[in-house]
Amino acid sequence: METFLRTWLEWPSVAAFIAKYTWVWPLGETFHFFGIILLIGGVGMFDLRLLGLAKQLPVAAVRRLLPWGVTGFLICVVTGLMFVTGVRANVPMSPYDVIKTNPWLQLKFLFIAFAGLNLLAFYLTGMDRAVDKLGPGDNAPMMAKVIAAASLFFWLGVIYFGRLIPEGL
Amino acid sequence: MQDFLESIENSGFSSYIRETPSVLGYSTVLALHTFGMAFLVGLSGVIALRVLGVVPELPLKPLKGLMPMIIIGFWLNAITGLILTSLAARSLLANWDFYVKLVAIAVAIVSLQKMRGYAFRDTSAPDDAPASAEARRWAKAMLFFWGLAVLGGRLTAYATYIRIQSAEAVAVAVILLLLLARYLVRRAHRSHVEARI
Repeated sequence: METFLRTWLEWPSVAAFIAKYTWVWPLGETFHFFGIILLIGGVGMFDLRLLGLAKQLPVAAVRRLLPWGVTGFLICVVTGLMFVTGVRANVPMSPYDVIKTNPWLQLKFLFIAFAGLNLLAFYLTGMDRAVDKLGPGDNAPMMAKVIAAASLFFWLGVIYFGRLIPEGL
Repeated sequence: MQDFLESIENSGFSSYIRETPSVLGYSTVLALHTFGMAFLVGLSGVIALRVLGVVPELPLKPLKGLMPMIIIGFWLNAITGLILTSLAARSLLANWDFYVKLVAIAVAIVSLQKMRGYAFRDTSAPDDAPASAEARRWAKAMLFFWGLAVLGGRLTAYATYIRIQSAEAVAVAVILLLLLARYLVRRAHRSHVEARI
């Protein structure tokens, strides 16, 4: 299994591309940040509305921002995969060893998984339909507020642990 | 001047933040700087998207309620930015890229204030009314300068030739993505209008 993962995670062509073209890594970093901004502007904005910020906004309208948040997340996934699979361009370590030994990267993955499970809870508890009916000035149900607060906590955790990854290299 | 900057860098506070082995030092300040950026740029970007008509379903006036969070994001960025600058004051203040970032932030803040002023000026306008041409102009300026500030912030750590190459690569990528986004938004609006007919 380890041999399979070591081989599968190592993308020499990505590392070589990053090493050859010095602008690739900063380009990826810049877009990773654009992705974070879109994520907070979309998903974070939705969470904040459920928590009572800008309460005069109808929730169904705020929901229109979620595709922007998903786009931001996808940009972060693509650029993040580039950082992991091409890590050897900057650090003499294999991606497998980085994932296995870096606690901050592991926590980041864990928090992304928690954010995903939290989103699942949002749909499974029927909160997605319940909040859609909320008009200007309406308060979200307590369950929706808890899920929104957890969502913000997990996504900020993802950003925080992402910033700590260099500490573990 | 160099002596003054050196004394800031070597102060007890700056030395602790820079050299402590705890993750609660440099990396946490950096993370808080990222949180501030995400709320400041992300939420002001939401207002800009509505002003530009990209998300017309959002009523304009209630978006004013985002301002407290945007202001918190700004101050979080300002305070952590000052701390981060104090850690390497001499090298940062000798770095032209750092000044590009500062000027871009200043212009983006002015653009945000102008956009806010024009967008929320007419309190009697219906919620679905398009924003004024002035508000749209300032929204575009704000998004451009936020992008430049983020780019400037990322590139301060690199050598000059890498900065120039990276800035060119980001510019090309952003233009291509904007063209794609414009096509997708226009197509979505067309199908929205056709569905209404």
